[in-house]
Amino acid sequence: MAKILGIDLGTTNSAVAVTDAGEPRILENAEGNRTTPSIVAMSKANERLVGLLAKRQAITNPKNTIFSVKRLIGRKFSDPDVQRDKAWLPYDIQASSSGGVEIKMGDRWYTSEEISAMVLQKIKADAEAKLGEKVEEAVITVPAYFDDSERQATKNAGEIAGLKVRRIINEPTAAALAYGFNKQKNEKIVVYDFGGGTFDISVLEVAEDTVEVKATGGDTHLGGDDFDKRINEYLVVEYKKQEGIDISKDPLALQRLKEAAERAKHELSTAVETEINLPYVSSDASGPKHFLMKLTRSKLEEIVRDMIERSIALTKETVTAAPPKGAGFSLSDINEVILVGGQTRMPAIQEAVKQLFGKEPHKGINPDEVVALGAAVQAGIFQGDVKDILLLDVTPLTLAIETLGGVATPMIQKNTTVPTEKVQVFSTAADSQTTVEVHILQGERPMAQDNKTLARFMLEGLPPAPRGVPQVEVKFDIDANGILNVTAKDKASGKSQTVRIEASTALSKEEIEKLKQEAAAHATEDQKKRDLAEARNQAETLVYTSEKALKDAGDKVSAEIKTAVTEKIEALKKVKDGDDVETLKNATSALSTEIQKIGQAMYNQKQGGESATQEQSS
Amino acid sequence: MDEKPEVQEEKQENGQMMPADVLVACEKKRDEYLAGWQRAKADFLNYKKEELQRLQEFAKYGHEELMQGLIGVLDSFDLAISYSEKQGSAPTPTGGRSPDQSVGMEKGIYMIRAQTEDVMKRHGLLRIRVKLGDAFDPAFMESLGEIASESPPGTVAEEIERGYRLHEKVVRPVRVKITKQ
Repeated sequence: MAKILGIDLGTTNSAVAVTDAGEPRILENAEGNRTTPSIVAMSKANERLVGLLAKRQAITNPKNTIFSVKRLIGRKFSDPDVQRDKAWLPYDIQASSSGGVEIKMGDRWYTSEEISAMVLQKIKADAEAKLGEKVEEAVITVPAYFDDSERQATKNAGEIAGLKVRRIINEPTAAALAYGFNKQKNEKIVVYDFGGGTFDISVLEVAEDTVEVKATGGDTHLGGDDFDKRINEYLVVEYKKQEGIDISKDPLALQRLKEAAERAKHELSTAVETEINLPYVSSDASGPKHFLMKLTRSKLEEIVRDMIERSIALTKETVTAAPPKGAGFSLSDINEVILVGGQTRMPAIQEAVKQLFGKEPHKGINPDEVVALGAAVQAGIFQGDVKDILLLDVTPLTLAIETLGGVATPMIQKNTTVPTEKVQVFSTAADSQTTVEVHILQGERPMAQDNKTLARFMLEGLPPAPRGVPQVEVKFDIDANGILNVTAKDKASGKSQTVRIEASTALSKEEIEKLKQEAAAHATEDQKKRDLAEARNQAETLVYTSEKALKDAGDKVSAEIKTAVTEKIEALKKVKDGDDVETLKNATSALSTEIQKIGQAMYNQKQGGESATQEQSS
Repeated sequence: MDEKPEVQEEKQENGQMMPADVLVACEKKRDEYLAGWQRAKADFLNYKKEELQRLQEFAKYGHEELMQGLIGVLDSFDLAISYSEKQGSAPTPTGGRSPDQSVGMEKGIYMIRAQTEDVMKRHGLLRIRVKLGDAFDPAFMESLGEIASESPPGTVAEEIERGYRLHEKVVRPVRVKITKQ
């Protein structure tokens, strides 16, 4: 079936995704980027440019470079918002014959739908090139506050671009879809969307098969670009203070500063301090001038604090104010908070949102792509990709078997998509062992005793052999229904034993969460236990091989060496069952050094013998 | 006797345990499952191909961010060299070096720049070359300003910052000033 595009037609940037095998993914554009600037231009050479190419000539062709058309689409020219925007938009707009907005580009007037269609056309063409097939349908997102006229105009833009618009969906709903929250009944969700040019807040309520928008709010003229502008202004002022030079009029210096400031902003999302280093940024009579400044995360937060505070106040108002201004909920009613838009990568914003709602917001999916991905999820439902029959489950917890020393050895890691099969070969821990016990476990803890036992069975009748020689193949197989079959087979005798466990995945969400939390809480002590078990296993193996080596060596090594090795073996045996990893490791290392002397003595003897033979023959 | 054949026929159907509609439903399900299975297998094979392509792309462009950072270093070298060239070989007021020393320093800086660019070239970086008077092309240029000129409008009047490609991708457009009437 032909692919249906999921398109996030943004004010500043747009993104497109498709669903393959039930999973949405972003498609890169012709320039190799994951987002496309929502900009259209008529170049001075009378060539129509869209996206990055239009952006690259915006400074010298402002009259014919159309951006932020989303602010105008489907609106009346007389709309107060349009009149406000008219004042700062560098291109000309006028009322159309129907009272809508017309935009001048080159020597022609275009409707806002036509301009948006040009962006969509490029998105469609690039997606087709990437997919290698024709695309005819799309799901397009719009802000939740868009009225019927704005939605219809967006749909028209899609149709002009040659796309059958299967559905127009709300951006916050798409974000909720991307996180899979559409199936959680009676949940109240807040979507905090801090984009490049706009800040939108939406309150959603998920009911039976529907996602209802309870309230919307925000500021259509507050965005990440304002943050960048504020940082740039700060740096220019600081530089003037330091060097007495105003670089705001130097386009190259400004460009370098802009890029460095953006990089610094990104770096400060993970680091607490960064350095902006621009040699030769300008010069005066005394010689070249360099820009070297440290910027800390706290300084950055101070520069933009008022904007963050404003977004939080707007969020609070939209959630708590009585309808129609707000949703009329209390902050504690909110079950999930989703972060959308690149600016939400800023730790101060994440912290402010967390403080407001008293819970960790969802930020796992790239905030620049989450809306397009959600649109692709909706497109996937139309495509028929997301049919129940093809929905594959994952194992919620790790499945393991117990091995020497009570260690839980993972066979199938958590989050593995089923059906799946894993095979591993194990051996015996003692000489002449004729039985092995297969202890099947479920859980994230490294020691067997801390996990849940799913089943135990014995594989009997192994031919007696020294430890480590028998090969027992253990196979874990989970089918699509979560039924686990575990088979243990002795490769030598061909004897095998199987157990079938019906409920390997039948755990409630709470149980799974509890087990995962337990694992996290005990991580340190569990690691210690595992280290001890591993050290003990090493010690046991070394004791075994040393005793065997002593026996094999017989009279070939001196009694002196034999006594020393025996002493070390005994010393290790004494501490082997203790709980001190260091003592155990030291004793193991001491025996390991000593045992090498046996090998050395035997080689020396052999070489002595060989040289004697050589001498004889010469 | 007349009724017998009817009874026999019913028994035959019961004996087969598969009335026609059950069979049709089963066949429909079988076709649906087979189609789903084939699709899943095809999706997987396609995914493998795409993954391979992605890996190749990653090998080609995985170091793009590092290259972007190093382009900044090349810029600084360019500015240093250009400043030095403007000053001539004469000792600067702050430098206090002999002309020979200055020339030596300048040459050294030039060589370090060339060395850096050489390493980047070996990893796929190519300088985009534009000439004054070339028509402005936003496919690999970005205009940062205009200069009044006698030359045809919309042509390159000044190269402000060099541009680079990483293999086929423009990682930084050439920043230029263009002519206006």
